[in-house]
This record gives sequence, structure tokens and C-alpha cells, in this order.
Amino acid sequence: MEISRNPDTPEVRKPFGARFKKGFREYRVAYLFILPTFLFMMLVHVLPMIQGIVMSFLKLNQFTLSQYLKAPFIGLKNYSELLFNENNPVRQGLGYALRNTAIYSVVVTISVMIIGLLVAILLNRDFPGRGIARAAMLLPWVVPSYVVGVLWGFMWQKEGIINYILVDILHLMSDKPFWLIGQNTIWAIIIPTVWRSWPFIMIVFLAGLQTIPDDLYEAAKIDGAGRLRQFFTITLPMLKPIIAVQLLFQIINNVYSYNIVAMMFGNGSGYPGKWGDLLMTALTRQTFGYWSFGVGAAASFLLMGAMLIIVGIWYRIFRSELRVD
Amino acid sequence: MSKKRISLVLLTIIVMMSMILSACGGSKGSSSSGNQTDKNANNSTTGAPQEEVTLTAWIMPNSPKPDKDFMTAMKPYLDQNPNVKLNVTVLDWGSAWTKITTAATSGQGPDILQLGTTWVPAIAAMNGIEDLTDRVEELGGQANYLPASWKTTMIDGSSEVYGVPWFVDARALFYRKDALDKAGLDPATAFKDWDTFKQTLSKLNGIEIEDQKMTAFGVPGKNDWNVPHNIFPWIWAAGGSVFNEDNTKVTFNDQTALEGVMYYTGLANEGLVEKASLEKNSSQIESDFSDGKTAVMVSGAWMIKNFATPEEDGGVGGKTAAQNYGVAALPAGPAGPSTFIGGSHLTIFKGSKHKEAAWDIIKYLSSDEAQLTYSQLSGQLPGKRSVMESLASDPNYKALVEATNYGMSYPSIPQWGPCETALVKYFGNIWDIVAGVSGTYNEASIQKQLDDAANEVSAILNQ
Repeated sequence: MEISRNPDTPEVRKPFGARFKKGFREYRVAYLFILPTFLFMMLVHVLPMIQGIVMSFLKLNQFTLSQYLKAPFIGLKNYSELLFNENNPVRQGLGYALRNTAIYSVVVTISVMIIGLLVAILLNRDFPGRGIARAAMLLPWVVPSYVVGVLWGFMWQKEGIINYILVDILHLMSDKPFWLIGQNTIWAIIIPTVWRSWPFIMIVFLAGLQTIPDDLYEAAKIDGAGRLRQFFTITLPMLKPIIAVQLLFQIINNVYSYNIVAMMFGNGSGYPGKWGDLLMTALTRQTFGYWSFGVGAAASFLLMGAMLIIVGIWYRIFRSELRVD
Repeated sequence: MSKKRISLVLLTIIVMMSMILSACGGSKGSSSSGNQTDKNANNSTTGAPQEEVTLTAWIMPNSPKPDKDFMTAMKPYLDQNPNVKLNVTVLDWGSAWTKITTAATSGQGPDILQLGTTWVPAIAAMNGIEDLTDRVEELGGQANYLPASWKTTMIDGSSEVYGVPWFVDARALFYRKDALDKAGLDPATAFKDWDTFKQTLSKLNGIEIEDQKMTAFGVPGKNDWNVPHNIFPWIWAAGGSVFNEDNTKVTFNDQTALEGVMYYTGLANEGLVEKASLEKNSSQIESDFSDGKTAVMVSGAWMIKNFATPEEDGGVGGKTAAQNYGVAALPAGPAGPSTFIGGSHLTIFKGSKHKEAAWDIIKYLSSDEAQLTYSQLSGQLPGKRSVMESLASDPNYKALVEATNYGMSYPSIPQWGPCETALVKYFGNIWDIVAGVSGTYNEASIQKQLDDAANEVSAILNQ
């Protein structure tokens, strides 16, 4: 492993223009290959995004929808409505959704990372039936999240299998609690998400573990390092880039989570409640349910900004791990 | 080091790919009917197009095989008019609104469009569908349809008609005859009014049929797609209303409306509804009833169809409940009987280039023959009153058809969609209170939710 990143010899950087010119000449073919992707990205990603931003400055509701992007321009009114007008319908309940999304994202992300890593370490040893075990553990990940929502919606019922196991078999509680209404809903959405997400995290960690050379562990053993010490000084540091990438995707995935919640509470037509609503389900309902497309676009854009800040912080923390040189 | 870097890059690619794959929703394209037809257009009905014409219809998943069933209902017409070709696209309720408004915006859309009753005013206000006022007389107009259903083809306060009722969604009580027998109750009087209804439920509660203990009443709570439709019939029966006469003031939070909500939710609070049912949705409540777990529920015509369909074909025909169920109108409240009337209308899309041909098809779908065929396929009541009444030889349909006479529909205003979204939320909170997971259940706490809902709905009305 290469530890020195040699801070003593700073690169002599040429001005950007000159570097670009030289780079362009050198990699002309590469740019050509990138071009179709670039154009496609513009078409499917950047243009709709710009359109969304434009929409957030328009008075866009069911009466002006037919004018679409020619709807009246109202500047920052949608943003001020969203941030300062407590009576705006789109705003109602967004506070709960924000709180739930924060709890949900943090708990799910941390849980799947820990479970994924532990199981990956277990499966990294050689034992008979390892292939089957890996395949079996991937099963939850193969289930579409819509189906996860419907299935767990059945399991969480008061007379459902989960309460049956918890109360009738294990006697962990005296009464059968509600899971799909009231405060417990937050667990009813966190647990299925963890159940579905960890296998994929595990597989990626497993791939990462296999790139760590065995010599490192052997050397550590000779030096007298125990298993725990090996984990903290070899495994964890070597996995850091993978942890960084997984963390980012988990945060993005969980903040933008929608399917499981939508399906569990009335197939998208119900209200998940104060403890079950997430930002995406709330924004979808409040925007399309109230036909306030402009305010909804503004809210989405604000959320995107918040996400960019999170990604920025993430990048600052893990910058050194992600340099590909 | 380079090995690690490469694996990291590969990993990133895999993760990205998986995200793309998982984010890939299948978008259904319209399927074109492949059959080439001859050019002999000599045997068409009056008004049918003589030239070659291809029409597109957008419908909702009204039945298990929505596109096939629609084409089955249309087959006689298409056989008689070989120059007319029909493409049908099935939207799903979740994304239909976005697709329809996009179509209305761009002018690119179908010729014939199915709209839920509460969507008609909104799309009409968006100028997305044709004014059919001059045409509907050909179908007999208002006189041929249920008043509560006809009302929703127009915007309240104006006289233009934008749709033709295709089928009607009406609700009635479904009960177990064997359970009533065992309790010594007469179905003719057991569900007469609120008092007798409550007595009936108390007698039915805990009754055992085939060694299975029943709960009296199955009621879905907030995790449902019908939340307002379940509650409003009781508000109407109490004498309450959604808005005042000219739709300027919210009234669903007044004293009479509260009485209705308290009666309905009180049944759960008094143990006549199992609290566990309050986290279920309508289809789970329907399976509880067919599995013999509950003695009474509120449902619609599709359950009559399900009970008549054998289990091999996806119905519940084999169950004990299928041989022992009856249908009755909802019990009368202080202001008389009531029920919820919804359903779907057929409309002509404004951007259609074949409006005459589209109208001809709507005319066909409104004929007795097509109305009957399609109602049997979809399990909904036919929109046309005479056809609906012809079903009444079956005693179960008879009760349901009678119940439609007391039917009410929501105010027909363009902003109803947002109002309903708000109601779903606050009625959901009410169910939370009833279930005992949020605050205490009393008149004050329910009134507060209704008042909060009224505030939000007023804000929507005044926008």
C-alpha cells in the first residue's frame, strides 16, 4: 500500500487554458468518445433540471398549466411562500417529513453499513456452501421495492406475522402494538428498507475485502496483532474509499426514498401519517395533490441544494480517498 | 495501489449501473391493434365515420384485463365498422393525472378519454376536453342518468356538459345472512337506521360461524385509497355537507357533520370494529369479509362480481361468505339515507382530430348492449339508469341499485382534487385518534381535526 502522497513536491501547475489546450490535443479521441454520453446527459438530465428550475419561478397551477413554461413569471414568490407562508398548502406537514427523513436516512445508512460490513467479513472466509450463502443473502435486494412495501405492509399488521412472532412466540411484549399507524410507523419503514438494502452493501464490501492482499494480514499476525487490531488498522483503512462511495449512495438513496412508504400506506393514495411521511412522498403529494407545480418545483430545487451541500461536505471529508491519479 | 484504484472505479461503475437499472421504470407505450381491416364501409350505423380512421382511447385499469375487456366491449362496433380502428392505452391511477394534464397542456393526446368523476371539472377548466352539451341530448341527457352522477359531468354553477357517465361506483352494506340468522335478526329491519344498525352490530359482535369468531364491522382506516369516500356518507346521512349551497364556505366541520363522523368512528371506539382493521386498506377489509372474519362491511358492485367468480378465475366464489351474503343500503341517519357515488365518465379530448368518430364510439359505449357488457367485465354499475335497473333481478344488485337513489357526490368544482388531498390527511389523523395511537378520542379532538381540515380546504378554495 502506498502511504506517501508526497506533499513535498507540489506540482507546477500551468494556467488552465494552456492545460486544457494541451489536454485536448492529447486526448482528442477520448473527447470524441465522451461526446455522445455528454449530449445524452444534457438531454435527459441537464435540460429537465433547468426546466424544473425555470418552473420554480413561475405561477404554475392547474389554471396556468396549459401555458406551461409561458406561465406568469413571479420571481422568488414560490420560494418565499414555501419558506415564510405558514398557510401555504404545500408546506403543511413538510416539517414532519423533514424530521422523519433525517431519522430514516441516518438510521438506515448506519445500520446497512454496519450489517453489510459484518456479514461481508463473515462471508469472506472460505467455508463450504459460501456461494449459496452469498446468493441467498442477495435475495432481499432482488425484490422490487414496491413489492417490499406491499409485503411488509401485510407483515406489520396488528394481527400480522411480526406481532405474532414478537408477542405470541417470543413474548417480548404483552400487547400487540400498531405498526402502520402512530409513532411506530417510523420503524415500519426503516426496517424493510434496511432489510432490502444491506445485501447490496455487503456484496460491494465483499468485493472490496477481496482486493486487500493477504500479506498484510500475515505481516500483522507475525507482529502480534489480534483480530480486532487487524480490523481497525488494516481492513477499515483499506476499505475507506469503498465506505466513502457507499455512504454517499446510501445518503442519496435514503433521502430520496419513496417506493416502500408509498406502497405501504394506501398505494400512494393514503397519508403515511406524522411518523411515516418522508420528504419525497410529502413533496409528491403536496405538489401533485394540490396542483401547486411551481411551489413544488421550488421545494425540489431547495432539496437539491441541500443535497449538494451534503455531497460537498462528504467530498471534503473523503477527498483524499477518492483521488484517482 | 493501482489495483485498489481500479477496483474502486469498477465498483463505482457497478453501483451507478445498478442505480440506473433500479430507477428505470417501464413506460408503457400504446399498443396498436394489428388487424388490417377491409375497406368496405357500407354497413355502418348512422353517424359512424365512412373513411378510414384510427382512434386512441385512454382508459384506467377498470378490470383485471383492462385493455382486453375494453376491446371485448367494443368488438361488435368494430366488427360493424371495419374502417374504424381503435388503439387503447391503459393508464394507472397513480400517474394518470400527470399524463392527462400533460396531454391537455400539449394538445397531444387521445381522442376518447376516461376521467374519474372528480377530475372532469378540473380538466374542463383547463380546457382539455370538449363541451358535449349539444350532443348529450342524443343519449337522452340527464333523464337517463343518476342525478348524483350527472352532476359531476358539469362544473357546479354552469350548464355545460363535458362527459357521459360510463360506469358508477356506489357503496352499500354487505352482510352475512347466516350471522344475522344466528343472532335472530331480520335483514329487512336490521339496517334501517343508525340506532338499529348499532344494535345489530352489537348482537353480531363475537358471533361464531363455522367455529370462527366474527367481529361485527370491517372498516378500513387511514392506509387506504378511499378515506374520504368511507367517511362522507355518514356525514351526509347526519345532515352535513361538504360545502354550502354555492360552494363558497366549508361546512364539513359543523355540528351535524361532526355528529356523522362521531357516529361512524364511534363504532370502532365501542369495539364493534376491531381496532386492528383500522390499519388495513379496502381490499384487505374485503378479504376479511370473504374469509368470514367480519359480519358486515361497506363495499361496491365489484364484490358481487368477486363472489360470483370461482377461485380459479381470481374470485372468491368458493368461500362460505359467497353463499351467505346479502346487500343492503347504508343505514339512514338523522337526515335520511345516503351513500357515496363516484365512477368514471367518457370525454372527448380537445386536441382530438376525429371528434365525430370519437363521439360515435362514446354513443356506442352508452348503448344498452355495451353498458351491460362492460359493467359485467368491470364489476361496476352501468352508468345508464335503465341498464342499471335491469340488473335488479338479482336481489344483491337490487339492493345496491336502490342504494344509488340516495347517492351523493362531491362538489363538482375544479379545485376538488387538492381539497380531497387535504381531507385524506386530516381524516387520516382522525383514524389515528380512533385507534388510540395519537391523543384521546373525544368530540373536541375530532372537531379540531375537522377545523384544521376546513382551514386548509378554505385556503385552497380562496386561492
